[in-house]
Amino acid sequence: MAIIDLQNVTVSFDNQHVLHSVNFAMKSGEFVYLVGQTGAGKSSLLRLIYVDLQPHEGRVSVAGFDAHRIKSREIPKLRRKLGVVFQDFKLLPDRDVYENVAFALYVTSTPRSEIKKKVLMALGDVGLSHKRNQMPHELSGGEQQRVVIARALVNSPSLLLADEPTGNLDPASSAEIIELLRTINVRGTAVLMATHNYELVRRYPARIVQLKDGKLLEVELRERK
Amino acid sequence: MALGYLLKEGISGFRRAKLSMFAAIFTISISLLLLSFFTILLINANSVIEGLRNRVELEVFLGDYLSKSDTDTLQTKIVGLIGVEDVRYVSKDEAARIFQEEFGEDINKVLDFNPLPASFKVRLKDGYRTTAGAESVYVATKEMKGVEEVAYRKSLLEMLDTRAQTFLWLALGIGSFVAISAIFLVANTIRLAIYAKRKIIQTMKLIGATRTFIRIPFLLEGLVQGFIGGAIAAGVIYLAFEYLEQFVSMQLSDLVAVDREAYGIIIGVGCLLGILGSILSIRRFIGEKVVEQ
Repeated sequence: MAIIDLQNVTVSFDNQHVLHSVNFAMKSGEFVYLVGQTGAGKSSLLRLIYVDLQPHEGRVSVAGFDAHRIKSREIPKLRRKLGVVFQDFKLLPDRDVYENVAFALYVTSTPRSEIKKKVLMALGDVGLSHKRNQMPHELSGGEQQRVVIARALVNSPSLLLADEPTGNLDPASSAEIIELLRTINVRGTAVLMATHNYELVRRYPARIVQLKDGKLLEVELRERK
Repeated sequence: MALGYLLKEGISGFRRAKLSMFAAIFTISISLLLLSFFTILLINANSVIEGLRNRVELEVFLGDYLSKSDTDTLQTKIVGLIGVEDVRYVSKDEAARIFQEEFGEDINKVLDFNPLPASFKVRLKDGYRTTAGAESVYVATKEMKGVEEVAYRKSLLEMLDTRAQTFLWLALGIGSFVAISAIFLVANTIRLAIYAKRKIIQTMKLIGATRTFIRIPFLLEGLVQGFIGGAIAAGVIYLAFEYLEQFVSMQLSDLVAVDREAYGIIIGVGCLLGILGSILSIRRFIGEKVVEQ
């Protein structure tokens, strides 16, 4: 079953098409790279999926929600089914690692007894249990990104969206993040990762779609060599 | 909904953003102090003006030749005039006694006779204690048979009519200005505090927090800020009056009425200002997109 289904989606800013009649479907449990140059519309496509942006034409359906018909009070429910990871982390700077991850559970009114268990498990998954009492600014970029991934995972989402998750990281940390995302994918979570780091894509092959001139194309890995 | 979390979150803002909390509380206190002092001043000025008006009465001097029954008839006629509240008869003897009280001399001994006429002291009804009200009674009584002279403090009433009215309008204008400024000042301070948390609000939305969930801690924060700001303002006003009373010979509390309820009202208005400021401020940020364009 498709977890993401975009049909003839058009998005324009200032009368310029960023996405033009885009069709894209992604199955549950799939791992997909979304590649394209800066400004190609990768972030806009992801924003369509977490309903921060509405298409000007076409249909977007995500995890059983139809973005066109969704009521504004249903958007939080959809977002809880997704995990979103950003290049600039978006951690809450005024609370420690544990609280940052636990925050996603407070939002969903998870019982207190379960919160601790789930947070420690998620931090264990990303290898940061020992840093749970540190503040975000005390961590390296790679570590911060792993906290964000832990926060995205703690609600057991069926889909993880990653917008240039390695954009601010050195090659070693980038590789760690990709490996982490692949592990998460192997456990059953679908991952859609926007990136322009072709080196990583080559090292960790998966389905690739490319945004170019507002169009979405399927790309074979061999063609990029 | 995770009530415990929301409560904790509302309070922990104080720990996380001390400076903006302090700024908001300080702003609320100052605004309330300004408003309170102004209101107290206005209420008291108004009661002083009303007090002066209440004291204005017309003196209707009677001819010595009037008999008892003529006097009674005249009194009935004056009581029946529009705007008259009551009429008190002051006999020649009583007038002499009042003279002695005021000047320390017995007029009968000074002049060998009592030249002071008997009179009616006419008090006006509320709403007629104006130049126009007094003047109509003045004209009506002056034409009555047996009335020699009618006197009242026309200049005082005229002064009250013109200047007091101007003063009240001016005070009301400045008061409204102060009140509106207070709301804007508080809303602006809170908006700056929330603006600093804009990214946090975006992250909350991204994780799937509902608008209510995001809003409640900010409202609680506003409420607590308002309460503390209000309590500080009430405390300052209380101390100010306690302190002033020691230096002003007149019993200040007689003139300046600050009831116990007034302190409650100040704190209540503080809470209201805090919540209102938060609602106005957060409304803008909560509707923003997660990703800025």
